[in-house]
Amino acid sequence: MSEAVREPPLLEVEGLARSFGKVSAMEDVSMSVRAGEVMCVLGDNGAGKSTLIKTLSGVHLPDRGRMLISGEEVRLKSPREARARGIATVYQDLAMVPMLSIVRNFFMGAEPMKGFGPFRRFDLAAADAIVRAELDKMGIHVRDTSEAVGTLSGGERQSIAIARAVYFGARVLILDEPTSALGVKQAGIVLRYVAQARARGCGVILVTHNPHHAWLIGDRFTILNRGRSQGTFSKEQITREELIQRMAGGRELEELTHELGELTRGDKRLAASRE
Amino acid sequence: MRSLFNRPELGAACGVVAIWSFFSLYAGGSGFLSWAGSATYLEIASELGILAAAVSLLMIAGEFDLSVGSMIAASGMTISLFCERLGWSIWGGIAVAMALSLGVGFANGLVVVRTRLPSFIVTLGSLFILSGGTIGMTRLVTGRTQVGGLHQALHYGSAEAIFASRLGGFSVSVLWWMGITVLATWVLLRTRFGNWIFGAGGAPDAARNLGVPVPKVKIALFMTTSFCACLVATFQAVKFTGADVLRGTGKELEAILAAVLGGTLLTGGHGSVVGAAFGALIFGMVQQGIVFAGVDSDWYKVFLGAMLIVAVLVNTYVRGRMVEARR
Amino acid sequence: MRSHQSLRALIGCVAVVLAAACTKGEPSKPAGPSGTTAEAPSAPRKDVKIAVVTHGQASDTFWSVVKNGVDNAAKDLGVTVTYNAPQTFDMVAMSRLIDAEVAKKPDGLVVSIPDANALSRSIKAAVEAGIPVISINSGGDVYKQLGVLLHVGQTEYEAGFGGGEKMAAAGVKNALCVNHEVGNGSLDLRCKGFLDAVAKGGGTGKVLAVNAADPTDSKQKVSAAMGEGIDGIMTLGPLGAGPALAALKEGGGLGKVKLGTFDLTPDVLAGIRDGALEFAIDQQQYLQGYLPIVLLTQYKQYGVLPAGGILPTGPGFVTKANAAQVIELSAKGIR
Repeated sequence: MSEAVREPPLLEVEGLARSFGKVSAMEDVSMSVRAGEVMCVLGDNGAGKSTLIKTLSGVHLPDRGRMLISGEEVRLKSPREARARGIATVYQDLAMVPMLSIVRNFFMGAEPMKGFGPFRRFDLAAADAIVRAELDKMGIHVRDTSEAVGTLSGGERQSIAIARAVYFGARVLILDEPTSALGVKQAGIVLRYVAQARARGCGVILVTHNPHHAWLIGDRFTILNRGRSQGTFSKEQITREELIQRMAGGRELEELTHELGELTRGDKRLAASRE
Repeated sequence: MRSLFNRPELGAACGVVAIWSFFSLYAGGSGFLSWAGSATYLEIASELGILAAAVSLLMIAGEFDLSVGSMIAASGMTISLFCERLGWSIWGGIAVAMALSLGVGFANGLVVVRTRLPSFIVTLGSLFILSGGTIGMTRLVTGRTQVGGLHQALHYGSAEAIFASRLGGFSVSVLWWMGITVLATWVLLRTRFGNWIFGAGGAPDAARNLGVPVPKVKIALFMTTSFCACLVATFQAVKFTGADVLRGTGKELEAILAAVLGGTLLTGGHGSVVGAAFGALIFGMVQQGIVFAGVDSDWYKVFLGAMLIVAVLVNTYVRGRMVEARR
Repeated sequence: MRSHQSLRALIGCVAVVLAAACTKGEPSKPAGPSGTTAEAPSAPRKDVKIAVVTHGQASDTFWSVVKNGVDNAAKDLGVTVTYNAPQTFDMVAMSRLIDAEVAKKPDGLVVSIPDANALSRSIKAAVEAGIPVISINSGGDVYKQLGVLLHVGQTEYEAGFGGGEKMAAAGVKNALCVNHEVGNGSLDLRCKGFLDAVAKGGGTGKVLAVNAADPTDSKQKVSAAMGEGIDGIMTLGPLGAGPALAALKEGGGLGKVKLGTFDLTPDVLAGIRDGALEFAIDQQQYLQGYLPIVLLTQYKQYGVLPAGGILPTGPGFVTKANAAQVIELSAKGIR
């Protein structure tokens, strides 16, 4: 970890801004992620999370601001370019083809081939072997890799999507609300694989509006509010309560603080009983 | 065992056995089981099956092509007109018709992927354009609505050998059908393009995110359906030595029906070419079986309707099993 | 487990529908060879199987009269007859119906030949299989080349020409021929004959194609054409006559625009009686159904057949003078 800190961050952005017509979706966002670290980007609905994701993954170009990959300034013009530079994005519901087998999903768009000329074909046997090995490495157990993805749980699906991104050389993994649609147990499965990906040296950007999940896995936290970053904190610098309070708009919403406090105490008990 | 039940073509395969047994019992004595009787329903199944193979691929990719029926009329008429009016070799006529069909398929695909309109609407439009254009052009050039005399065209003999000959009493189109079914199955299950077809239909956004060129896949498949329609038109034009402007009417729905009977989902993402071949076989057996059973052919549509509904119920159930999360 | 049930449901459902349809079709079900001759003196005739394949769609009243002729002949003679027609005007489907019937090896085959090119392969195959074939309705121009024994019907060009002459005599100068079955060569011939006769009388005319399955659309097309100064309309069957009549009624053209049609229906006859229609050309299609069954039965039993050629069932003209009498027969489904 200490070695990684000395290198430039895998991905760093400074003062990113982007507006759509008259609507400003992102005004001033700065953050970075290093190898072997989980950076949680937290924000309520409308804070600019999805605009940030799309900018990082090459869907939108920013209006202002800088983006650096391993210290080198870049402008990502397409998702393809982002992928080529090792930035992989796993979208919440758009990661898998439900009626297709795990193997076929895993290699969608990057199928291993064998044979020559007109007989070039999808090497299913090799693909199957790779998938088994990769899932093993991530500690994911499936009965049969030819089973349809639709029969898997949401957590397993997200996990396989993560395994796939890691296999195809992702250095920076952007996860869009990976746990929002999942129950506590399923979310736990996904967070475990996020930890696995971190252990393999990936820089993970986990975008979420759920501070509890973020607190469980995150090394550093960047809080977004109304299109601006409200600062970045390491886990030692901030408590969970502060995290929640800042997410909700900080001191501007004094009247809500009391209620939030109540909620937090409830959650704390819940978390305690879970642990 | 479980994977066997998830095979999309299972229902259609059982349907083939059930329908064949039924007609064998009921109409076996009147010729359904005879060589010639089998040949008649296989001939129908072969032409529909060639269409259904292409249509099922397109449906797996999440699109429809309603223009294949009128493409049959347009292609057949193109072949006949070039031979009859301009005295071309029949191979020249076939080449022009095939080029035309690929062009129409490309246009269909391009409009669908560019405008993002439902392909149902776009190809319904091209159905009307093609069918009206065929009638208009034919009447403009000949003043008639059917053009014959193809057997007098140059090189007709070689075309007849390839498209309309008989092998041991069976139409040669049955061989084409098997070949095309095997080829399409291989493409779907064993090539990169096949995997993209599943991706394009099952979750187009996910596929695009993963780098699958979804628009190109769809355009290629629209060209395939159109081309197969032209192929069927060639069989019919050569076999019946001419064309009329109404030929192929309704074939687009029959092909979709065969694909659905074969386990292809209307919503895309799942299906089978082998299933579509079974679907076409069911179609042919029912169509001719009713004649052998001596039932008024008016009843034919009742069977088709009932089978369609049952097939869709089975498919919906299968999909439910596949998409349902494991508890 | 549950997919087993679904499959069973599929098989069951199809079986039920088939069984229902088969019961319905009982009268035409081929009877097995019966050794008993006790029930009727005509018992051996039960073994005579005749197949009829026409291009007449189920929705066309014209063809239901033909079918009445077929059914009545079958009943009168005690022979077994099956009647088949494709769902739409589809020559490929029709040729396959013929193929299936030929595979059943009937004692005789009756076909209509609206497109000789498309049907010749199947008809020739029937002839080669030794099945006696009689053509009805359309195909009078080609039946001989195909090896068909006889044609029962009217010659299309001449019938159309006769209609054109009547129109020209009534003073029509700008005529319209409404074709409701584009693709049927016989109808093309009727229009051609009609337009030739109109031209001979010093007038002009053109063909209007309409869709037989969509009367509303057909009516609109005729209405639109009326705006161009048409003074005479010839329709080629009830599916064209109905919409044309409705268009004339709506547009106030009744009596001013001369309307003639092929083939009779109660509406057409009432129209002639009331003066809305000038005339109808009747080909007495009941005979086209009845006669071939009689001829083929005799041919099978005794080997006798008329000496070939065309057995004309028409054209006959129905005008105001004889409309009342025809109406009576029409109610019985015979004209």
